[in-house]
Amino acid sequence: MNQIWPLPGGVHPEENKAQSMQLPLGEISLPSEMVYPLNQHIGAPAKAIVAVGEQVLTGQLIATARGMISANIHASTSGTVSAIESRQLPHPSGMNGPCIVLTPDGKDESIDFERNENYLELERDELLEKIRNAGITGMGGAGFPTAVKLNPRDEISTLIINGTECEPYITADDMLMQTRADDLIKGTQLLAHLLGNPERALKRVVIGIEDNKPDAIAAVKAAAKETNVEVATFPTRYPSGGEKQLIYILTGQEVPSGQLPASIGIVLQNVGTTVAALEAVRDGKPLIERITTVVGKSLGTQRNIRVKLGTPIQHVLKEHAFNEREASRLIVGGPMMGFALEQDAAPVIKSTNCILAPSKQELPDPPPAQACIRCGMCAEACPASLLPQQMYWYTMAEDYDKLEAHNIRDCIECGACSFVCPSNIPLVQYYRAAKGTMRQIAIDKEKSDRSRQRFEFRQERMAKAELEKEAKRAARKLAAEAAKKKMAEAKASAIDATDSDDPAAAAVARAKAKQLSPEEQKGKLERALSSAQSRLEKAQARLAEADEERKPQLESKLKQAELKVQESLKKLKDLDLNGDNTATSNNTVETNEVDPNDPVAVAIARAKAKMNMDPREKLEANIESLKKRLGTAEEKLAVAQAEGSDTAAALQTGLEKIKGKITTVELELAALPQNSAKPETAPIEQDAASVAIERAKAKAAASASMSPEEKMREQVASMEKRLEKAKERLKKAETEDDKNVEAFRSATQKLEDKLAAARGELEALN
Amino acid sequence: MAFMKITSPHAHSPGNTGDVMKQVILACIPGLVILSYFFGPGTLINVVMASFTAVVCEAAVLKLRNRPIEFYIKDYSAVLTGVLLGLALPPYCPWWIVAIGSASAIILAKQLYGGMGYNPFNPAMVGYVILLISFPVEMTQWAPPRPLLEGGQALMGPMAALQQIWLGVSVDGYTAATPLDVFKQNEGKLLLENMYREAPIFSNGSWAGAGFEWANLGFLAGGGYLLYKKIFTWHTPVSMLATIVIMSFIFYDGGSSNSGGSATFHLFSGATMLGAFFIATDPVSSAVSTRGRLVYGAGIGLLIYLIRVWGNYPDAVAFAVLLMNFAAPFIDHYTLPRTYGHEQSRRATEKQE
Amino acid sequence: MSDNSTPYNEITANGLWKNNPALVQLLGLCPLLAVSASVVNALGLGLATILVLVGSNIAVSLIRKAVSDAVRLPVFVMIIASFTTCTELLMKAYTFELYQILGIFIPLIVTNCAILGRADAFASKNDVLPSALDGFMMGLGFTLVLITVGSIREVIGHGTLFADMHLLLGDIASGWTLNIMGEDYPGMLVAVLPPGAFIVVGFLIALKHVIDKKLEEKVKAKAAPVVKGSKRVRTTGTIT
Repeated sequence: MNQIWPLPGGVHPEENKAQSMQLPLGEISLPSEMVYPLNQHIGAPAKAIVAVGEQVLTGQLIATARGMISANIHASTSGTVSAIESRQLPHPSGMNGPCIVLTPDGKDESIDFERNENYLELERDELLEKIRNAGITGMGGAGFPTAVKLNPRDEISTLIINGTECEPYITADDMLMQTRADDLIKGTQLLAHLLGNPERALKRVVIGIEDNKPDAIAAVKAAAKETNVEVATFPTRYPSGGEKQLIYILTGQEVPSGQLPASIGIVLQNVGTTVAALEAVRDGKPLIERITTVVGKSLGTQRNIRVKLGTPIQHVLKEHAFNEREASRLIVGGPMMGFALEQDAAPVIKSTNCILAPSKQELPDPPPAQACIRCGMCAEACPASLLPQQMYWYTMAEDYDKLEAHNIRDCIECGACSFVCPSNIPLVQYYRAAKGTMRQIAIDKEKSDRSRQRFEFRQERMAKAELEKEAKRAARKLAAEAAKKKMAEAKASAIDATDSDDPAAAAVARAKAKQLSPEEQKGKLERALSSAQSRLEKAQARLAEADEERKPQLESKLKQAELKVQESLKKLKDLDLNGDNTATSNNTVETNEVDPNDPVAVAIARAKAKMNMDPREKLEANIESLKKRLGTAEEKLAVAQAEGSDTAAALQTGLEKIKGKITTVELELAALPQNSAKPETAPIEQDAASVAIERAKAKAAASASMSPEEKMREQVASMEKRLEKAKERLKKAETEDDKNVEAFRSATQKLEDKLAAARGELEALN
Repeated sequence: MAFMKITSPHAHSPGNTGDVMKQVILACIPGLVILSYFFGPGTLINVVMASFTAVVCEAAVLKLRNRPIEFYIKDYSAVLTGVLLGLALPPYCPWWIVAIGSASAIILAKQLYGGMGYNPFNPAMVGYVILLISFPVEMTQWAPPRPLLEGGQALMGPMAALQQIWLGVSVDGYTAATPLDVFKQNEGKLLLENMYREAPIFSNGSWAGAGFEWANLGFLAGGGYLLYKKIFTWHTPVSMLATIVIMSFIFYDGGSSNSGGSATFHLFSGATMLGAFFIATDPVSSAVSTRGRLVYGAGIGLLIYLIRVWGNYPDAVAFAVLLMNFAAPFIDHYTLPRTYGHEQSRRATEKQE
Repeated sequence: MSDNSTPYNEITANGLWKNNPALVQLLGLCPLLAVSASVVNALGLGLATILVLVGSNIAVSLIRKAVSDAVRLPVFVMIIASFTTCTELLMKAYTFELYQILGIFIPLIVTNCAILGRADAFASKNDVLPSALDGFMMGLGFTLVLITVGSIREVIGHGTLFADMHLLLGDIASGWTLNIMGEDYPGMLVAVLPPGAFIVVGFLIALKHVIDKKLEEKVKAKAAPVVKGSKRVRTTGTIT
């Protein structure tokens, strides 16, 4: 037990921890104004839920988390919301950001906190909810929402509580461990309960403390007696408190590059976070105050204080007799990884563990950098076993490939290399810049990749569309020619058109014979119908391939085309009905109105007719097409995932959308009353509706490259097939004594006729 | 109130590059004292003259390059180059030898490549090699060590030394072959045992040649001090010396006239220790990672042995170091350390293939 | 083929300074580095190079319209080789000792890129007279650099200047040897060895850059007042 794996590298900066531990934990007065930045954590900024002028009480929720990775913010004292505006943030960049500004009323009236001593009996989800509601985030520095970290997807075997505090000057955790060791242990047990409950494999719970805090170690050890919490101490060395470093020191395991500790079954929490989590669950108290070290020789008093979050740093400094002229800079955090502030207006936030105001003797301005002599002291100091001097070299040369190969991404920016550099080179700054540039390059590359992909895809699509258009054009031309020929024939045989093999022509002839129907008008209508249909088909094809954004536009176009088709159909039908009362069923009329020699037009017309007939069938067709899209989407997704592409997520959501659509359509379909008027052929027809178009297209494409003879043969074959099907249907109808038998019979008859004619033509060709 | 904006880390360890250089210069003192004891003031004068020339040349070039002179002189790198060259040169060699060597070291090998931190080759060794191939006669005349002096002869005094150096007034017979010279000339003649008995330089010495053995011990001590001070890591010197020892064991052949010489002989003669702790460890021109430094040191040791035993020159530290300087970037590409969180180490060139 | 007629002074300036084969084009480095250890060697090789360069440039210019692009390089090499052989035979006849010292480097003139380069870049596009001048000036520029490098290396390496000039110029030159560094100069061998040649040529190139920069600054300083009153920068008022 308690084996320690020594950290490679590391440095021993002067500790400077004694000065802030002389005085007991202090309190400071209320400032005249509190500032609560909406983004104090990693993740999405919270959303303000109070209005200017509103009265709030201590502990009242003033901003709610937005999304999973975000955190609530509570008022740390009672008062009036005086503004919600952009204020200076305690951020390395010195930027401003949205903040809720509160004017305290000095009463510090609190809402009632919901205490619960038997918190361990609560459900796990309930506990997590309490922690999430309390707005608890990591208090060691980064500020990651704690509830998320406590709810990992991976199996957790080890819980590490980080009491290392390896940065010089900072003693906030030391103070916390000394004063609240019992709560720390209880908090640790709470976290262990969360991670180990219900059936998880938590084996080890350990609090890691550097051996330069003997008082804290003694206190925590005493409190941890007779619990399963292990207290591990290890030699003081910066940066053993780094997440990855502490994990290695205590377990000998390394977090794989680019992954989270949870991936190797480890969760790590700061001691402050642990106690805050306990307070949230046991006392119902949200995160509204923390212990912060206020230290530096330009201050009159150096100590740890319990400070309300939102207190402006200048107020804290004023309370500690800050001498501005003495100060060399103002640092939030420790001297190794803390960041310098240009202004002291920024407030104390959840992750502010130290305010360091060193004097000019303490931390003098850095001397000018000398040349790198590649002495390798930085490599000796690097806790991640990198080669800082080479990385510096390649950063200067902007050789990002080499930097990548030197694993610059695994740099934790602890500053050990800069600390030891005898030439005073600000190495970490170079790495930050290089990492930023590399990130930008990666983003740019992804962008250009995506647009290139889009471009290529578009090219492909255009080429395909062009091909289809070509095929259709050819088909249409053929059809037009045939129609002309037929028309001429019809004209010629108009007088004795009794046994014409073309029912349409026959009908026309008949119509002509019976009534003076304008033949030209009909021809025109037919042409209009065919062109409208082709447009409709084109629109549909385009719709199937279209992006989400362009869809509505195309859909409206499709509607238009459909309307036109219907209109022309109606006109044609009226014409026919007027002219000829012997028109058979809708179905057959349509089939026959279109030139029978053009299989494409026939199939499309049939499909169209079927789709236009009935909402139910339309829905079914809709499902069919959606399913097809789902299939392609799934394929695409699989490809994307296999390639690890970043668009996978986008595709996934698209897929989900399609699935959702399918279910809604299916529901709609189910809601429709079963249409008894439809014969049992409905399913077949529905299938055919969408498939036929495809088949026809394929055929058209194939026929474009065939000799007339082959075409003819093909046609005959297909007709034979159709005839067979029709016969089958007829037989079925006959056995079931269907009322549509007549229609089926006549259709079959017609097919037989057509087939005979086609065969004759084929022979003639031969 | 605005405060100074400085990026982390804010704390800095005490010391700078100048301090590192001063430590190395300091560590040269034991070797220098021993050399002066055995060979008179010649080496000391060399060191002073060489450092002076080096600093003057450095200042002149910096002036030409419009660089801040004081800032760069204060890093003591020029002084160190001069000191190392002075230690390597034979005592009482003419002044112009020292001047030319020091000037070429600073101007040619250092400043022409961009100055401090940018020189691919060890400047002191470049200066030494230029001298060695230009003036082979002057460069191979060593003074006799104290135990070898004849009855009436005294160690050369400072005045006589300056006269010889500046005016070319040479003292007759005041030269002697180094142990490595004697050894080289003995090849195929005497058994090692007999050579040790007959050659005065060996018969007056305790284990590896009068005077030289002690000088090497002095540099070893200085190197130990630097290791203790963590100025450099143990990898380069230890792997270099270990390679020499291994090679000596392999080719010792029991001490025949064709023997490669014993390990003790190789370790404590010539510039072995000076090379191991002061030349090969020059960080600018050596490999960077610990693994790389092991390879680099071993390469130097191997080359030293090969040239000493089978080459034309009696000693080879300078050549070996320069040759390995060539190889250092290459070694660096293939000896990256394994980074935290990675299964194995990578190669620096892998992204370019 | 339209000959772009470069003015003769331009050709001269190019050969001697602006486009010097040794210092700017860095062509013919092999003979430059190998035989420039003394003035006599440098001068000997330089003269031989001028001879070949002028001859080959004239010949190439004469036949330039008859040779197709596809075979031009082999033809040029053949021409250069013939002239080189002539030169070699001449040197063998009149300066035999020098011929022996220069040895392989005389036949190797064939491979001197400066010669082939001029034949291809200039002679094959220009008339005979400019080509001859170009060949001469380029050769002269090359020779001058050779002599400069040779004298520097001879002075540093041996302490002498014009030693053994009689090998090239006959008995009149036998007494020309100057002991610049005095009788006792030990000689700095590194200057005579190849590294010395690299170092000296490097310094010469640097020197040329320095001079060019200075000249440029001078030109700029002269040109500056003219720019001041330029009409192009006027944005208001009328241009008179």
